[in-house]
Amino acid sequence: MTLASNAYHALEDIVGAEHISEDPAVLDSYRYSLAHTAIHLGPYYDTFTPRGEAVLLPGSTEEVQAIVRLCNEFNIRFKAASTFWSAQAYPSEEGAIQLDMRRMDRVLEIDEKNMFAVIEPGVIGATLQAEAMKVGLNTHLPGSGCSCSPLASATSYLGSGPGNMYGGWFHDNLLGVEWVMPTGDLFRIGSLGSGCGWFCGEGPGPSMKGVARGFIGSKGAMGVYTKCALKLFAWPGPEHLPVEGTVPAYQAVLPDNFKAYTVAFPSWKAWADAAYMIWDTGIGYLAHRQYNMFGRDLKHAMVKILTDPTKTLGDLEELLEDPEVQRVTEESKRDFQIVLAGMTPRDIGWQEKVLDEILSRTGGWKVEAMNEPEVNKWMLLYLIRLGHKNLNLVFGGSYDGCFGFLGAVDWGASNAEEAGQFKKEWEKRGAVVEAGGDCMMGPIGGQGGGGTGLWENFTCFDPYDRESVEGTLEFFDACTEYGLKRGWGVGMEKWNAQNRGPDGKTTPKEERDRIHLSAPQPSMFRYQHKVRQALNPNDLGDAYYETLED
Amino acid sequence: MALEDFSAEMDRCSQCSYCKWIPFDQMKSWRFAKNCPSISYHDFNSYSARGRYAVARSLIKGQSEYSDTVQRIAFTCMTCGSCDVSCKVCRYNLEPLEMVRELKFKLVEDGQGLDAHRAIIESLNKEQNTMQQPKAQRGEWASDLDIPRLSSSEKAEVVFHAGCRYSYDKDLQATARSAVLLLKNAGVDVGIMGEREMCCGGRVYSMGYRDAFTRFAQANIQAWAKAGVKTVVTACADGYHAFKRLYPKLGSQVEVLHIVEFVARLIEEGKLTFRNRVPMTVTYHDPCHLGRQGEPYVPWDGVETKIKNQIVVYEPRRPRYNGAWGVYDPPREILKSIPGLELVEMERIREYSWCCGSGGGVREAYPEYSNWTAAERITEAKATGAEALVSACPWCERNFMDAIGAMGESMQVYDIVDLVQKAI
Repeated sequence: MTLASNAYHALEDIVGAEHISEDPAVLDSYRYSLAHTAIHLGPYYDTFTPRGEAVLLPGSTEEVQAIVRLCNEFNIRFKAASTFWSAQAYPSEEGAIQLDMRRMDRVLEIDEKNMFAVIEPGVIGATLQAEAMKVGLNTHLPGSGCSCSPLASATSYLGSGPGNMYGGWFHDNLLGVEWVMPTGDLFRIGSLGSGCGWFCGEGPGPSMKGVARGFIGSKGAMGVYTKCALKLFAWPGPEHLPVEGTVPAYQAVLPDNFKAYTVAFPSWKAWADAAYMIWDTGIGYLAHRQYNMFGRDLKHAMVKILTDPTKTLGDLEELLEDPEVQRVTEESKRDFQIVLAGMTPRDIGWQEKVLDEILSRTGGWKVEAMNEPEVNKWMLLYLIRLGHKNLNLVFGGSYDGCFGFLGAVDWGASNAEEAGQFKKEWEKRGAVVEAGGDCMMGPIGGQGGGGTGLWENFTCFDPYDRESVEGTLEFFDACTEYGLKRGWGVGMEKWNAQNRGPDGKTTPKEERDRIHLSAPQPSMFRYQHKVRQALNPNDLGDAYYETLED
Repeated sequence: MALEDFSAEMDRCSQCSYCKWIPFDQMKSWRFAKNCPSISYHDFNSYSARGRYAVARSLIKGQSEYSDTVQRIAFTCMTCGSCDVSCKVCRYNLEPLEMVRELKFKLVEDGQGLDAHRAIIESLNKEQNTMQQPKAQRGEWASDLDIPRLSSSEKAEVVFHAGCRYSYDKDLQATARSAVLLLKNAGVDVGIMGEREMCCGGRVYSMGYRDAFTRFAQANIQAWAKAGVKTVVTACADGYHAFKRLYPKLGSQVEVLHIVEFVARLIEEGKLTFRNRVPMTVTYHDPCHLGRQGEPYVPWDGVETKIKNQIVVYEPRRPRYNGAWGVYDPPREILKSIPGLELVEMERIREYSWCCGSGGGVREAYPEYSNWTAAERITEAKATGAEALVSACPWCERNFMDAIGAMGESMQVYDIVDLVQKAI
């Protein structure tokens, strides 16, 4: 289907000729490779999301409203996205138009006293954090890193990240929202809707946050969020991150009220106990099992590469032969990273004592190699800014998580070794990077400061290598089968399978229905069906807003 | 190389958009967080390195065809290399700058070059310069200087290469004269090629004219050999990059110095001291081709291989050009040693500096966009409170001067050599 010329010209009239394109080359730069499968099923070699009919760059809420109304008039599907991290940002079906929200990128307000920011979709985590730090505040950042849109993460997805324990998940932080509904009507959620400002996502005013977001966010399928307010939290550091060092091994020299540690434990039980004690005592600013994404066997060698600007991946094998690297690798098998931030000297002193006591009670230890000044300053900056998250793809260009134990940490911890061993056996077949099996990465705290962890077992492969891609897919299928057999459920390797199929397009309805009916709570999708009927009568989004007919 | 040789990279590009921003660790504000003029001006994904990988893939797979838009996508890249630095914060097996250069080469080879660039190539072929000026006037900038004109019969250890901009831009020529006199007064056995000097080829290389570059590079290498030249010194960042990074691939073995490296060396050795105060607050703009692209050339002839099943590496180890080892400190050391002068830094500096807007043939083909890029930098410079913007490249300085004129601003523009001259 090609967009009717009268529709194209009407869209052009809204945004101006310089902000719309139907050139095939431009459109192909808005397609996502399904060999990059972050939070998606797959991978599928040489498969891309469908080409849109046009791409538009709206510059205001009014323009977005006009576009959406026109889409309703001409029955055109639309997909809005801000920073395009994964496949869910792109159209699922031919005949759709893509809205790139990049031009709407302003930090509209930082309310220092009430500790929130008002932002547009194109603002990224790093710029919001940089502006917030100027007034002693900080923002949560999603696990995908500071390159991603906080508005998209908060309105339309999970928003989990290392800062969960102190800053809350992004959806926790969502306050007032300006929402261009699927019909083009403007809806102001929460206190904004009653003219009381941005400070609350529920009331006084229409408490529609849950309806708008639905199950883990509507993923760009239910209108367009054009502004939102996000809760900020305290930043007891300088106005700018004091960065030094040689690219890419940048480091931050922060005051003594900041400490970064890698801690490790003699058993997974001890690991989980420590996580629970950290939540109980309320210490910690950020905590994540971060560098294990490179793999249990490779992580310390990778830290050596990343903290030395003269080194490359070509140094990896030699580093792995280094006895000291081998010793630290063994020492940090069951580890995570934690940043403490003291609001006062007494506070940081107390947090340090508590962490030491937790380590004493659990038999854990601080990995001293990660306390070497050059490494420690690098780690501190890495975790606070989350500006190196594309290291997810450092090895061959692609990765995805498998298994993914989202739940109480002792559940994840008790299965971690088994899941790692399962992957390790598959690593021997050659399709994926041989990294030690346990490549599990994720936050230590979630759900309002504690209670859960998320164990995403990184699987790295080469999207340009058909055998690697197809072997990875075979491994992911085996993970699903194993997870079901063990009662772990379907893992991250099949996330979004209900929305987008192997051809890059919408999963057929029969398959979606089958998946939703087998979910623990199918009625949730029936409820969303009702919401969609009411708010999106022409169904111009896509299947990422998951529904089930009665 | 051919565009098809980048097919693996086109698939391995993470589609992460790091190429659109300065390294995140270095961000200090919303206002000065972007790095790539092209995507910042045009906004469509296709104008970023990530997008250009996708466009190139689409072209070689036959999914799209050449169009005015495709030409604009390719030729609005200033080849400033800022995307390359940001990409390589995390990636060790992508070369986005090299890929975009190859995309330009491909368009030119397929007859898809721009008229504005063809006119320059015609002038280059006829007059041996990119300024569309008579060859016979090339040496006039130094007509009043007692400096040898080198040839097979007049030899010197060191040649000062003025470059096209200094040779013909009368507003800037005092800098070239000061630079060559600095060399002479330091006792260096220095000469110039005068009217026999030829374009370095660097700017046409960045426009996509690889063959023209190669011809001029080979001619310069031969001319220097005949004149007994062991070292080439230039005050032009574009020339520096061409000589330092591109010529060695064609066999050049001469030492290459930018004038700031030479002056910093004189200061360090105590051979140059400043007597005059220069009471001024200045900020320094890192030219892309002296800074992040000014890293030394390292020969490499190897192949891609894999370790640990699927980790892409190179055998032997491939040199990594990511801006880490560019020329950043010598200009700053010079400025800090000038009495009375205060250096204040902009937010985007060193390897993550914002481009002046003059590179890649953009100044010649897209003047409005080029001017916008320069104006962005002027705005950033003004935010420091500096009264002057200092650089080390005539192309940057010309673009800044023009933008300041268009903006109605009063900020002064200096080459670092001008300030050295004031202080001596």
